[in-house]
Amino acid sequence: MSGKDSAVERASAMPAATWHFLRMNDTTIEIPQGLEVAPDLQLSGAADKRVQTDEFDNMMAVAQARWELVNPAPTAQEIAEREAYRAAEADATYGGTARSNYQAAADEMEEARSLAVAFKQGMGEQASAFLRESAGERVLVKAERKQKVDAQVVVRGAAGVVNTAAIDVVAGRGSEVELHVLVDSPDGAPAGDASVGVAGTTIRVIAADDARVRIVRTQTLDDGLIDMDDMGLLAGVRAQIDVKQTVLGGSKTFTGLAADLRGDQASLEVQTHYLGHGTQAHDFNYVVRHHGTRSQCKLDANGVLAGTSRKTLRGTIDLIRGCKGSQGRESETVLLVDEGVRNKTVPVILCNEDDVAGDHGATIGHIREEQLFYLASRGFSQESAESMFVAAALEQAAIEAPDELTQAAVLRVGERVVPGFAALFDEEA
Amino acid sequence: MSNTILTCQKLCAAVGDKPILHDIDLSIGQGEVHVLLGPNGAGKSTLGHVLMGDPTYDMTGGSIEFDGQDITELPPNKRSLAGMFLSFQAPVEIPGVPLRSFLRAMVEAHGVQMKNKQFKQRVQELAQQLDMDPAYLDRELGVGFSGGEKKKVEMLQLLLLQPKLAILDETDSGLDVDALSVVSRGMELYRRDCGGTLLIITHNTRILERLAVDCAHVMVSGRLVDTGDAALIDLIDAQGFERYETQLEQA
Repeated sequence: MSGKDSAVERASAMPAATWHFLRMNDTTIEIPQGLEVAPDLQLSGAADKRVQTDEFDNMMAVAQARWELVNPAPTAQEIAEREAYRAAEADATYGGTARSNYQAAADEMEEARSLAVAFKQGMGEQASAFLRESAGERVLVKAERKQKVDAQVVVRGAAGVVNTAAIDVVAGRGSEVELHVLVDSPDGAPAGDASVGVAGTTIRVIAADDARVRIVRTQTLDDGLIDMDDMGLLAGVRAQIDVKQTVLGGSKTFTGLAADLRGDQASLEVQTHYLGHGTQAHDFNYVVRHHGTRSQCKLDANGVLAGTSRKTLRGTIDLIRGCKGSQGRESETVLLVDEGVRNKTVPVILCNEDDVAGDHGATIGHIREEQLFYLASRGFSQESAESMFVAAALEQAAIEAPDELTQAAVLRVGERVVPGFAALFDEEA
Repeated sequence: MSNTILTCQKLCAAVGDKPILHDIDLSIGQGEVHVLLGPNGAGKSTLGHVLMGDPTYDMTGGSIEFDGQDITELPPNKRSLAGMFLSFQAPVEIPGVPLRSFLRAMVEAHGVQMKNKQFKQRVQELAQQLDMDPAYLDRELGVGFSGGEKKKVEMLQLLLLQPKLAILDETDSGLDVDALSVVSRGMELYRRDCGGTLLIITHNTRILERLAVDCAHVMVSGRLVDTGDAALIDLIDAQGFERYETQLEQA
């Protein structure tokens, strides 16, 4: 890549847009000019690098066939009735329901009856394409029926380069997959706020019936680097997908996750932990579509914002007609440590089914006066209290790191943010 | 008479325009155990908070001397660093901060040098002494803790910091018999390990059974109306506060 800066427009877009003036519907990712595309991955466990792989598409075709078995196409009469109803609605002068662009697109997607068409990536097609093309070869993590596999992918970000990984996770029926992804820049990047490199992953996951997939992604990039975390998930009957995302480093980070809970009793749990410090900007977009009956999702984001950092989070739970008995919940806790931080959150629950539950809860705010007094009564000044919140977020990330490599990366970024942090994990220090 | 650790003279405090404490004179000797008794709403907790420097209250008059230093104008964190500790009646929750991280940061704020291994061992040992499940150390401070667990955490901090003066604001309130016994044990350990000074604000004289009380004070309507030795506690137990309230009304 060379020449002018390029941009990924309308990335991580909300499916149902809100007021334009809020500037929250999507984001633009500026890709700096002059970067060299240089894939540099470290793979271990079941992670397998392939020039071409159609495993994901094959599994999608199997999932499509299985889904069609229990979800027969509507009859000609049913289609005619639906169209007649829509025409009447559109013609109604008063009291008629105007379909939004989102509704029209959503209806079209449902009527296509194609799992592949409905399968989306959280950051949107343009961002996914950029990440895929930069990655070149795909990494495949595959578990055969009832097989249990572990894999780790390390993406090394660096100044002057675009380094991305395109990962397909194909989990057969009743299988278990654990994937750890670390996006790190162990060699460091030049200090400063200018974005001088891009690292990222685009991950596609298909979990067949009764499969369990757990993805732990940790990002510990240095200042000046952009992180792009793009995921698309499809869960079959009783399939369970857990995703844990920890976002600590980088100057600008973009996280997009889209999930299709297609099977009955499919479930998704996403835990997001982030720390905003300095001038960091974090952008998160979650879209979960419930198709299966009694499917469940839980989106839980916890973060600390310090310095003049910014964060935007869009969380959409779409309870689609037919997903009876499903439950979707999104919750968020954000601690605003400094006055200069900016936090934006848009929780959206879309509902086209009666027998469902969707809810949202958020705790967002500065350190309360009674908390400040409590901390002061324990010897903390305002500055040391703020520093403790930042250190605690890093410490939690280090404690919960899934492996030693990840913990070392967290300690490295921790040391940069809070000098002396790494010593906390040194028994002899 | 031991050396005086805390002296309040003519201390007055208010919230906004509402006066709460009136001309409090109080003197506590180093290593002594003082008890502050009084009916609900008498201002006992307010006194504890004003001594600690809670900005919710305006100190409208008087002075506070602690360990030979005038701390009247000192912010609460400096009072803590000087060796004063307030155990809260309702400890706050601090989401996002694991208890262990909080404890370590607290120790560091006090300038205590401890190796990580030593810190872990000490905290583990104290948790054991207070019958506290070590799993709580990795949980967010106070979040989802029962009332008893919160009070144990207060005791754990007391034992970790070993302050010169500990003000226990109804640390025993709302506790069952077992938790009460743990809190009593915490106070005993504090006294045994560092010979610390206690100002215990309480309604429940049961918590005092295992302590040798040097002095008891009675507060009614924001005024200290009586001071005596441990025998005063038995008297209050038998007669309540009515006679003080009547005297104040007649005055």
